[in-house]
Amino acid sequence: MTKVKEPKEKVQGSPAGRIGLFVSFAIVAALALIPFWAMLVGTFQDGDMLIRYGLNLGIDPSTAHVHNWVMLFTDSGPYFRWFANSLVLTVVQVVGTLLISSFVAYGFAMYDFKFKSFLFILVLVLMTIPFEMLMLPLYIQVNTMGMADNYAAILLPFLAQASTIFFFRQFMVGLPKEILEAGRVDGVSEFGIFFRLIMPLLKPAMAAMAILNGMASWNNFLWPLLVLRSPDKYTLPIGLNTLMTPYGNNYSLLIVGSFFSLIPILLLFLAFQRFFVEGMTAGAVKG
Amino acid sequence: MKWTRKLTAASAIASLALLSACSQPSNEETPKATSTVDQQAGADATPLTLWTFVELHGKFYETMAAHWNEEHPDEQVKLDVNVMPYDDMHNKLQLALNSGQGVPDLADIEVSKFPNFTKGTPALMDLTDAAAPYVADLVKSRLDLYSKDGSLYGLDFHVGTTVAYYNTELLDAAGVDYTTIKTWDDYKAAGVKYHDATGKSFATVDTSAAWQSNLLLAQLGGDYLDADGNVTVNSPEVVKAFDILKDLQDSGAASVPPGGQPDTEEAYGAINKGEYAAMIMPSWFMSRFTAYMPDLKGKIAVAPAPVVENAKVKTVGGGGTGTAVPSAGKNTELAAKFIAYAKLSKEGNVEIWKTLGFDPLNTSMWTDESITHDPTNETIQYFKTNPFDAFNAVSDSIGLLVSGTSPNFPSVNNLFTTETLNDIFESGTPVQKALDQAQSDLKNELGQ
Amino acid sequence: MKGLFYSQKAAPYLFILPFILTFGIFWAFPLGRSIVMSGQNILPGQTENVGFDNYTRLFHDRLFWLAMTNSLRYTLLTLVLLIPIPLVLAVLVNSKIGSPKIKGFFKSAMFIPALTSVVVAGIVFRLMFSESDTSLMNQIVSFFGFGPVKWLKNDLTGLAALLVVAMWRWTGVNMMYFLAGLQAIAPEFYEAARIDGASRWQQFRYVTLPQLRPTITYVLTISVYGGMAMFLESFMLYNGNNSPQNIGLTIVGYLYRQGVEKNDLGYASAVGVVLLVVILAINLTQLFFSGMFKKENR
Repeated sequence: MTKVKEPKEKVQGSPAGRIGLFVSFAIVAALALIPFWAMLVGTFQDGDMLIRYGLNLGIDPSTAHVHNWVMLFTDSGPYFRWFANSLVLTVVQVVGTLLISSFVAYGFAMYDFKFKSFLFILVLVLMTIPFEMLMLPLYIQVNTMGMADNYAAILLPFLAQASTIFFFRQFMVGLPKEILEAGRVDGVSEFGIFFRLIMPLLKPAMAAMAILNGMASWNNFLWPLLVLRSPDKYTLPIGLNTLMTPYGNNYSLLIVGSFFSLIPILLLFLAFQRFFVEGMTAGAVKG
Repeated sequence: MKWTRKLTAASAIASLALLSACSQPSNEETPKATSTVDQQAGADATPLTLWTFVELHGKFYETMAAHWNEEHPDEQVKLDVNVMPYDDMHNKLQLALNSGQGVPDLADIEVSKFPNFTKGTPALMDLTDAAAPYVADLVKSRLDLYSKDGSLYGLDFHVGTTVAYYNTELLDAAGVDYTTIKTWDDYKAAGVKYHDATGKSFATVDTSAAWQSNLLLAQLGGDYLDADGNVTVNSPEVVKAFDILKDLQDSGAASVPPGGQPDTEEAYGAINKGEYAAMIMPSWFMSRFTAYMPDLKGKIAVAPAPVVENAKVKTVGGGGTGTAVPSAGKNTELAAKFIAYAKLSKEGNVEIWKTLGFDPLNTSMWTDESITHDPTNETIQYFKTNPFDAFNAVSDSIGLLVSGTSPNFPSVNNLFTTETLNDIFESGTPVQKALDQAQSDLKNELGQ
Repeated sequence: MKGLFYSQKAAPYLFILPFILTFGIFWAFPLGRSIVMSGQNILPGQTENVGFDNYTRLFHDRLFWLAMTNSLRYTLLTLVLLIPIPLVLAVLVNSKIGSPKIKGFFKSAMFIPALTSVVVAGIVFRLMFSESDTSLMNQIVSFFGFGPVKWLKNDLTGLAALLVVAMWRWTGVNMMYFLAGLQAIAPEFYEAARIDGASRWQQFRYVTLPQLRPTITYVLTISVYGGMAMFLESFMLYNGNNSPQNIGLTIVGYLYRQGVEKNDLGYASAVGVVLLVVILAINLTQLFFSGMFKKENR
C-alpha cells in the first residue's frame, strides 16, 4: 500500500502576523484548557479539601497524593458500572440514531411525495421545541407504557433525531440523483439503493453526527435522571451526581471520576475529528 | 496515518470497555455499593427496598435488619438500600408515589419535605398500629410532626434538641465564659466581647437554613403559619426573631458562614479552623463534629441554647427524617413492623445513639447513665461536657412549630432558605421589608 | 410484499415511517398533553379543568418573572458573546496566515470543553468559583487587589460565572460551525473582489458575511434555544435548583421546580407552554427577518 504523502502546505503570512496569531491562539486555547488542568490537579488532592477550599491551579507537593487514582482502579464501587452503562448506551444510541436518522433523511432528500413539505416542517419545528417542556408529560407517558427505569425510554424517543435528520437531509440533497437511477436500472430495490449505494457516501456526515450524537448521549443527564431509578442502571453523569451529597464523603471519587469520564469522549473526538469539519461543511449550515 | 490513528482510538475504547467489564465481578460480590453490613438474612428473607439520602442511615437500617433477623427468624428481611442525593431522592419518590409505579418499600423523607407527601390522600401507610408497642416512652411532639388527621405516617430517628456548641479553647482565650450565657442578650454580649478581643465572628447567622430562627420563633410563641395554614411570616413574633438575629450580625457578633449554614462542607472547614466559636444547632450536629472536625476534639462544650425573656419553651427539635411506608408497596405490613422496631424500640434507640450519635426519641434513655456516660462512646469522648447534661436540662420543655406539619410549610421553608434569609443577612434588606415580601410571595404561591 | 421494497411510490413513506412513529408517540402526544394539562389543576388522584387560571397565576408570579428575566438576560448576553467572538476566531483560523498544525491543535483545544458532561463542568466551575479565598477565581481577583468574592451568592457575579461556563463550553462549537460555513465559500468570490480592489475589511463585509448568513442564522437559532432552555448549567453550578435568592433560576428551572419538586403538573405545563411560545416567537421573528422563508432557500 503506497502511502500518499500529503503535500506540505506552505505556511504563509508575515512573521509578525504569524506570531500575533500564534500568541492569540495560545492564550485562548490556554483559557479553554485551564479547567482541565485544574481538574487534573484536583485529582491529586483530598476531595473534602476541594469542597471546602475550592479548586485552583497549583499543586502543593506536600499534600498531593495518588490515593484518588489508586482508589479509582481498586475500590471505586459502582463507578465502572456507571461507566460501562454509559458506554453501552452511547454506542447503541449513536449507531441507532445514525442509522435511522439517515434512513429517514434519505426519504426526505431523494423523493417527492405528498405532504413532504409539511412533514419536513415538522422536523424543523421539532428542532425548536424545548425538550424540557415535554419531559414531564413524556415521563408520565413512558411510565404508562411500562418503560420506566428502562433504557428503552432513553433510546426510543431519540432514534429519529430531528437535527440529525435535518443534517443528513441537507447533506444528501447535494448527492447526484443519477446514482438512484443507475441503481434502479440495475434492479436494486429502493432500500438496497440506500444501504449499498448511498450510505458509503455518507461517511463525513456520519462522522460529524457520530461525534455530536455521541457527545449528547454520553453527557445526557436530565432525561435519564428522571427515568432511571435502580442504581445499577445509572449512567455516568447521574452516578457522579449522586456523589455530590454531603452525607456520603465521596468527593474524592467525584473529582477523579469526573476527570476520568472525559477520556472516552475525547478518544472518540480525536478519532473522528478529521471528518468533522468536512462533514459539517457539506451539511447543516447551508440554509 | 489515518488508519493507525483510528486503530489506536478503537483499541483504546475497546480496552476501556474491557476494563469496565472486568471490574464487574468485584461489584457483584457486594451487589449494592453501600451494603457492607451483613444483614444475616436467610434464603427466605423478604427483600425490602429502602430509599434514603444519607449513607449512614442506610448502614443503620442494615444493622437493625441483622438484629431483627436474629429475633424474628421466620419473618426475615433483606434490605436493598438505595442512597440518592437529597433533592433527587425526594423528587423520585414523589414521582413514584404519583404514578404508583416503582415505589420502594421504605423511604426516608426529610421533615421539611414531609408535608409534600401527606397532601390530599397520603399514599403512605398509617403506622399507628406498628408504633403502638413503643409509643409510651417516646417524645410525643416528634410523632405529631409526622402525623395528619390522627394517622401517623413517618417515624423519626431523634428529637433533634437544639442546643449551643461552644469552642471553649477560643472562648477562654478571649475571656468569655459560656456557662454564664443564659439569654439571647447574654449571647450577644459574649459575641461582642469575643469579636472585640479577636476580630472574628462569635456566632453564625444562616442563610440556607432556619435552625436559629425556628428556635427563636418557638420561644417567642409565634409561627410561620396559623392553625389553618394561612401565611403569617410577617407577624410580630417572626419580625422579633429576625430582629434579634440581625442585631447579632450588625453588632459584629455573628456573620454568614461559608456554605450558608454550619451544616455544610464549607462550614465544617471554617469551624474546624476556628473561624466561629459558637454554633446553635440541633443535637445531630454532634455527629458532624466527630466525622468532619477532628481538630476540635475535647474542646467543644454542649450547653442549653439561649432563651428569650418569658420564653414559651426552652428549645425545639430541629431537622429530622421520617421513614415512611408507601401504601403501594408489596410488603407494607412487614416493612411497617420492621421500621417501627428499628427506630422506636429500645434496641433501636440505643443503636441510634451509638452509631448515629442522635438523641433518641425514647427519653427514658437520656437518664440511663450506662448509656449516656459510656466512656467508650465516640461522641462522649469527643465533647468536653456530657451532651445529655444539656439535653436533660431542657427535656421538660421541648416545643414544636406546628406549621411544620402543614402542606404549606415546604413552600415557606423553600422561600426562606433561598430568598428571604439572603435578603436579610446578605443583601441588608430591612427585616420588616423582607418579611413583607415573603408574605406576599407566599400568599400568591399558595393561592391565599 | 417484496414489491413494496421496489416500489418507488411507497418507498418514501416507508423511509420516513420511523420519524412519523417516534414523532407521533413521543413528541406530538406529550406536546398535546402538555397543552391540555396547562389548563388543569392536577392533584394526586384528582384533575379539574381550570381554563386559564394557571396562566393568570403565572402572570402574577414574581418568581416566574424573575426566571423569565434571568433566562432572557442570559440568552441576550450569550448571543452577544458567543456569536462575534467565535466568528472572529473562525476567520482567524480560516485565514491563510499561520501553520495548519497549530490551527489544528487550536481547533481541538477549543472544541474539547463541549465534550465534557454538564455535571463535570458544573463541579469544576463551582469549585473554581468557590467563595473560599483559595479558589482559582478568588486568587485571580486578589492578584488585581480585590477581596475574596462570594461568586455564587450575588446576582451579577453569579451571572458572570454562568457566562464564563457558557463561553468555555460553546465558543469552540460555534467556532466550528462558522469555520465550516467559511470553508464553504468559494475562493473565486474573494478573487473577484480582490481584482475589483476590495480591501480585506470590504471583502469581509461584502463577500464573507452575506455568504455566511445561513450559518449565522443557524447558530443564532440554536443559541436562542440553548439560552432560553438553559437549566443544567445553573443546576450544576448552584448544586441544585435552589440558588440564593433564585439568581440562577431559569424558566426551565422553574418548570422543574413546579413540576418535579412541587408536583404541580398543571402549573408546570403552563410554564412549558409559555417557554415554547417565547422561543417560537423569537426564532420565527429572527428567521423572518433573515429571509429563511423565501422558497428558494429550501
